[in-house]
Amino acid sequence: MTAETETLRAEIRAWLTQNSPAGWRSAMTNAEQERFVEVQKDWFGKLAEAGYATPHWPEGWPGGGRSLAQQKVIFEEVARADAPRLILYFVALYHAACTLFECGSDAQRDKYLPGILQGEIWCQGFSEPNAGSDLASLKTRAERKGDKYIINGQKTWSTMAQYADRCLLLARTDKSGVPQAGLTYLLLDMKSKGVSVRPISQITGDDEFSEIFFDDVEVSVDDRVGEEGAGWAVAQATLASERGLTLVELTQRMRYGLSMLAQTMKDRQRTNDSAILRDLGALIPKVDAACALADQYLQKRISDTEQAGDASIVKLYYAQTLREFVALGQRISGLEGQYQAGFMRGATQETGNWTLDFMNSYNWSIAGGSNEIQRNIIAERMLGMPREPKNWQLAEGQS
Amino acid sequence: MSHQTGVSDESGELLTQLRDSVRQVIEGTGLLGAEDHIWKQSVELGWLLTAVPEELDGLGLGNTGTHAIHLELGKGLSGAPYLPATLAIDALCQSTLSDKRSWLERLTGGELVTAPLADGDLTLDDSQNLDGTLTAVQSADIASHVLAWTNNAEQLLIIALDQSGLEWQERKTWDETRRFYDVHLNALPLAKQTRLAQGPQAKDIVTRLLAQRDFALAADAVGGATALLAMTVDHLQTRVQFRRPLAMFQALKHRCADMKALTAASEAMLFDALHSAAPEQKATAAKHLACTSFAKVAEESLQLHGGIGMAAEHPCHLFLKRALLNVHLGRGGDMYEQLIAEAFLTGT
Repeated sequence: MTAETETLRAEIRAWLTQNSPAGWRSAMTNAEQERFVEVQKDWFGKLAEAGYATPHWPEGWPGGGRSLAQQKVIFEEVARADAPRLILYFVALYHAACTLFECGSDAQRDKYLPGILQGEIWCQGFSEPNAGSDLASLKTRAERKGDKYIINGQKTWSTMAQYADRCLLLARTDKSGVPQAGLTYLLLDMKSKGVSVRPISQITGDDEFSEIFFDDVEVSVDDRVGEEGAGWAVAQATLASERGLTLVELTQRMRYGLSMLAQTMKDRQRTNDSAILRDLGALIPKVDAACALADQYLQKRISDTEQAGDASIVKLYYAQTLREFVALGQRISGLEGQYQAGFMRGATQETGNWTLDFMNSYNWSIAGGSNEIQRNIIAERMLGMPREPKNWQLAEGQS
Repeated sequence: MSHQTGVSDESGELLTQLRDSVRQVIEGTGLLGAEDHIWKQSVELGWLLTAVPEELDGLGLGNTGTHAIHLELGKGLSGAPYLPATLAIDALCQSTLSDKRSWLERLTGGELVTAPLADGDLTLDDSQNLDGTLTAVQSADIASHVLAWTNNAEQLLIIALDQSGLEWQERKTWDETRRFYDVHLNALPLAKQTRLAQGPQAKDIVTRLLAQRDFALAADAVGGATALLAMTVDHLQTRVQFRRPLAMFQALKHRCADMKALTAASEAMLFDALHSAAPEQKATAAKHLACTSFAKVAEESLQLHGGIGMAAEHPCHLFLKRALLNVHLGRGGDMYEQLIAEAFLTGT
């Protein structure tokens, strides 16, 4: 803690008191998705205007030039104020912008970053029906024709793609060689001819993810980030852009969520139930530890002492603890928790609608590298255990 | 101030030197180094001075310092009574005893004042006599005194072990790495004991000691889990079945990854607690998480060692037994979850 970060903390805390959307939790319960988009837009506008939406952007850009320590303060305070997460703009502000800063050209930065600041929504076109954990095996094709690429294929699990203006697309330009080598990174206009989007109805009743279909969609060569065939490396930069910060926010929100568990215990008259008390007592240190892990991970990034696998430990431990957290809420809520209740948009996994929260918690154990992938990374890169042999032959007809 | 350690750079260097000196000793002895050898080293190399404030001629490294040593000693399954000795030394430093300095000289010079590693049952009756049993008192046979406090924490004392009305008895635990004793007190006159504090001052020091003990046990557990996980991964790397090292099987890799996450989480929580504004409030959580995680790592490690893990000649069981015991030390293994939950619900 330095005087500088503490000044910022006081400043943003005061700002949030004035500007954090009051009552958004009740407004977002049972809200139509259109209303959710409105609230997100409004919240983004306020944050962007105050310069709090882009602290991670380089100096010279509006709001930019903040250190990681300062960015952490902003995330902590937004979580502390229980303001909504900027879910709709996350890909634009972090993935798209950081990719452009790190790998884009000046022309691309000038073309796209002002739009992001004005609230353009971006989505990510990485995962495919047959390329989830094994992302490098993706098959969506980008064929070069003159100064254009012609895109054909399908993406899935793209967050908020139904509202997106643009898409970060990872497509295959070459089938020969190792899978990673033939990928190219493109910026695609979602209003282009041949793009269609189909929201995926989720087990919660929500539809925050979509499938995207590409049928002879044209992308200019000018909208390629990095060289042809260098897409894998660019995608790694995209995925690294938020590392640590999101988990600081999520773990802090989980800690504040403990009070919601206490409330549910009171509501269900279980505060004297020693079995429940013990489960709560077992959970609290884990929540504290998840916060400590996220915090220390970010410190490692700040001091440039991060090691391979560090991020995986934080993500895995958070996902496991979150599951225990929502499972306990679900257990305490009893039969009452089994009756459907309206859900809240824009919250994390702690809405107090415990069965829904339980279902939603899978977002963190599956998306962004599943628990199983994180375990592989920890075992192989931290503990030095060998990879599995790769000589498996698929049966005929499998691909 | 450096953010990594929360201490000044000069102390940071001192801490590194101290940690290295413990590592060297433990690497020299290997697992289960002889108790008297490690105890002598902790006197000669100044480990006992770690948390003693500078104004009392110590190193002034506080909890952060002792925690680093407990962790290294835990890695080596050390049987030296460093943990109870640091509790007694800290109690002494906190006290207003008039001849505190001469006591400190004795204690940091190798005279052992041990302490109970679990909550005992000591009461003061109306005629000012002490009765009850101190339990899990480590290495009492080589100690001159034992640190003790009454149930209500109104009296904090140093009690000589060679006086009438006091008996001690070895209690063999399944854990073979440390030696524990019960100390029975039968109508021991309070007036004849060395009193470190009484009343509210005693209560404050006891609260502090309970937290210190929790942190020390947590650090011991983190050290044990770290060493055991490394040993288990080594075993899986070396042992070949089905014409490949066991470490190549994903089912086993994933269990090791989970153990790594548990250990890292315990260590992060402990570090965070020690550097927080009010460490005492986080002591129970840090102890509970570290000790239950170590127990889980030990349980898994024995399974992953297969048959050899059940053989007495292999050190795997030594970790398991130490881990199981650690869970029950401190304020009582089965009480922690309830204590933590109640503290949270009442906002303390």
